[in-house]
Amino acid sequence: MKRILAPALLACVLLFSPAGAQAQKFIFTPQWTAQAQFAGYYVAQEKGFYKEAGLDVEIVHPSASQPAMNRISRNESHATTLMLPQAMEIIDNGIPLVNILQTSMNSGLVIVSRRNESPLKQRGMRLGTWSVGFDQLVIAMSLKENLDYQWVRFASGINLLLSGAIDATVAMSYNEYYQLMQAGLELTDTNVYRFCDHGYNVQEDGVYVTRAYFKKHKDEALRFAQASRRGWEWAAEHPDETLEIVMQYVRDGRVETNRILQKLMLDEILRLQVDRESGEREFRLRPDMVAQMNQLMVENQMLLNPVPYENIIAQ
Amino acid sequence: MKRILRYLRQSLSARLSLWVVFFATLVFLATLGVMFVQSRRAVRQEAMSRADQILDNTVQRVQTLLNRVEMAANNTAWLVSRHLDTPDSMFVYSRNILLNNPELNGCSIAFEPYHYPEWGRYFSAFSYNDNGTVLTTQEGNPHYEYFTYDWYQLAKLLDRPCWTEPFFDYNPEDIYSKDMIASFCQPIRDKEQRYIGTLSVDISLSWLSETISAVKPYPHSYSIMTGLGGTFFVHPDSTKLFYQTIFTETLETPDPDRTDLGHAMQRGEEGRRQLRLDGKDCYVFYKPLGDTGWSVAIVCPESDIFDGLNRMQRSITLIFILGLLLMLYVCSQIVSRELKPLSQLTRQIETISSGQLDQELPDNGRTDELGRLYKSFTDMQHSLVSYIDKMKQTTAAKAAIENELKVASDIQMSMVPRIFPAFPSRDDIDLYASMTPAKEVGGDLYDFFVQDETMYFCVGDVSGKGVPASLFMAVTRNLFRIFAQQGHNPESIATAINQFLSQDNNQNMFVTMFIGQIDLNTERMDFCNCGHNPPVLVVPGQPAQFLPIQYTNQPLGIMDGIPFRGESLADMRDKLLLIYTDGLNEAENPRHEQYGDDAVLEMLTQLGSLSAEEVISRLKESVEKHRAGAAPNDDLTLLCFRLK
Repeated sequence: MKRILAPALLACVLLFSPAGAQAQKFIFTPQWTAQAQFAGYYVAQEKGFYKEAGLDVEIVHPSASQPAMNRISRNESHATTLMLPQAMEIIDNGIPLVNILQTSMNSGLVIVSRRNESPLKQRGMRLGTWSVGFDQLVIAMSLKENLDYQWVRFASGINLLLSGAIDATVAMSYNEYYQLMQAGLELTDTNVYRFCDHGYNVQEDGVYVTRAYFKKHKDEALRFAQASRRGWEWAAEHPDETLEIVMQYVRDGRVETNRILQKLMLDEILRLQVDRESGEREFRLRPDMVAQMNQLMVENQMLLNPVPYENIIAQ
Repeated sequence: MKRILRYLRQSLSARLSLWVVFFATLVFLATLGVMFVQSRRAVRQEAMSRADQILDNTVQRVQTLLNRVEMAANNTAWLVSRHLDTPDSMFVYSRNILLNNPELNGCSIAFEPYHYPEWGRYFSAFSYNDNGTVLTTQEGNPHYEYFTYDWYQLAKLLDRPCWTEPFFDYNPEDIYSKDMIASFCQPIRDKEQRYIGTLSVDISLSWLSETISAVKPYPHSYSIMTGLGGTFFVHPDSTKLFYQTIFTETLETPDPDRTDLGHAMQRGEEGRRQLRLDGKDCYVFYKPLGDTGWSVAIVCPESDIFDGLNRMQRSITLIFILGLLLMLYVCSQIVSRELKPLSQLTRQIETISSGQLDQELPDNGRTDELGRLYKSFTDMQHSLVSYIDKMKQTTAAKAAIENELKVASDIQMSMVPRIFPAFPSRDDIDLYASMTPAKEVGGDLYDFFVQDETMYFCVGDVSGKGVPASLFMAVTRNLFRIFAQQGHNPESIATAINQFLSQDNNQNMFVTMFIGQIDLNTERMDFCNCGHNPPVLVVPGQPAQFLPIQYTNQPLGIMDGIPFRGESLADMRDKLLLIYTDGLNEAENPRHEQYGDDAVLEMLTQLGSLSAEEVISRLKESVEKHRAGAAPNDDLTLLCFRLK
């Protein structure tokens, strides 16, 4: 299966990449190009929170030839962001990772149907998803619901859906969702399936380092996590200024986006960081969500064994 | 403002000029309004036709290029399908298509994973134009899994040739590069018509973008091209290019018109719309680019389309306003000049009306209405002068007559006794008389005197009024005095006067008369009433009553030879007798209501105990009050006496 290809490669590379070979600089690589999804880290950098924490942080975005996990595995970067199911899959494949900061408290995963019809009622339809992953929850749900989707993996974008080549696409509520809206697609309660509203509310983005790195540089890693959290908290209090900082990174990265999309993304990302039950930004990985994801993935044979909560968090 | 209104009220020329200009303005406005509306319609129609034509030409030019690309791809696809057994030939075909079609940027002939086992998972024969040099390579690798890309998957999934959305060319060191390309891709099938790969040819969007951007029918108009998702692939604002769609701004600020336009362009419709874009009213003309899913539009600000017309409108409006001001001035001057004689006439009339009637009106030589007005006024002035001269003469004559009449009146009044008490040496007679002519001279008369212990008295009323009556009165009074002094009794006096007056009475005048005599010793009264009002007798303690008269007789002067009969009243002591003319009981007020006999009797009943003078005085006051300001309608003569 292609979906386990990247982690497998990563595992191989990690074996021959001694961690800690880099100098004092702390290199952070988010999992995608510059966008508001990573606003808290940009804020921490620009507002000097990392410096105040005694860290010399450099944010290096990934490229096609240099995906984030590749950089981690080669020890070119010290930390990256991963979605929880993605991290569990990597750990299950034998690459120990440590979650040093959990930012997301909710799932932003959605399925958007091209027609105004529920994705749950379109059994066997062509469903587009990212070729690089992030779709563990979707697979688990489709297997559980016996939807028998035809999976179409694409590099990026929404064009397959717009052209009618696929019937529905997996999207993030803070990213592709707004891109589709920006493309004039009418999004309704009918043709948008939100995982968080159907018993699949699983945490997503968190900051991960290899366990090897964590053992050796625990203090640095925790200081990075603390300063990053400070960055997110500041972003939540100063969304307008945060947007300015994001747009600066977007311009530097020549990313195909615009201010309006980034504002919507920032608002949604900040919303997803608020725990539904407590109503607060908790910045913690919830054991119940890890347990739920373990159950889903094991049931659907996406994990060989459950990944214990203790194996994910920093101890 | 008040000053202006006052000026307008006082100036005929200003009012006339304003009215002329006002109606001229109405006519001009109506004309200009119709002209502007028609012009606007025509300009809009012309602009639309023009924009449609330009858009058609542009789309046709781009379509020609796209057709060339599609044709080249089709030819190569045919070759590929004939040589599927020799994967190496794919490199030759991908290279040749670029060599034969310099406008192409690249060509991929890519196959499904492991289609050629000897090539492994990836086989994509890729040639690309590197600054004029065509380079060929196998492009698939773990970092570029081409079969996940749109250009490969679209043809596979749609199972037909199609165009991709424009995209940034792949660069392994950077996810995105600067070069924006679009690919025409079509499925490659094996002999069993199963899909085995995709042939894709790329063109740079730069030529297409330049061609479309160059379309600029108006100074501020611009062209755009949107993709299937509404993304701007051609737009004058580089910040919107590739990064925004036609819907982006509607996410923040809903704009149904813009959204509708975007959807229409997405649906591949052709048309034109009027809407507000970026704060300007615009016309948008849009047309699809073949089957690409892209749409080209020309955005023309309304201000540009109507710029020429608006400038013309501004010029015409300015000229119109200046023209009206000029018209107002010229009108005012002309009307003032035309009305100048009227002003002169007005001033001269004012001079004339101040009394200078001899002021000459100069002839202005005009023959129009003003000339006639001048002439008429001159004639009127001459007539007026002549009339006033006559008036002066008449007034002088009248004054002379009035003077004479005054003398006559004095003479007449002097003919009756006017000194009271009438008999100062006697206290047994209380007598008072009064005569008030209605005009300068009257026709009434009275007289009294005592001779030989006998008091003679009379009151008469000549028919008619004025001078003839006064002359007749004078004669009658003299005749009474003559015949009474001769000691005749009243009926003889009446007979004598009648005989005298009847002779040669060509004017047929007559006189009513009450003639009486009282023996002061016996206090017996003899009297003769010649058609006169019966006198009023007041006996103390009784209501006033008319003197009982048995023989009224005819008035004097009517006919000669008729005998007059007298009567007697035995005792007049302490009795009051009032003899009067009809100026008393027939005195009229403004409503022509007469004083009346009843009023006379009532007054005398009240006044019976007063002296003769007081009785007459009060009676006259009462009559005056009854007349209430009305002029006397007849002479009023009263004679009242009481014997003590």
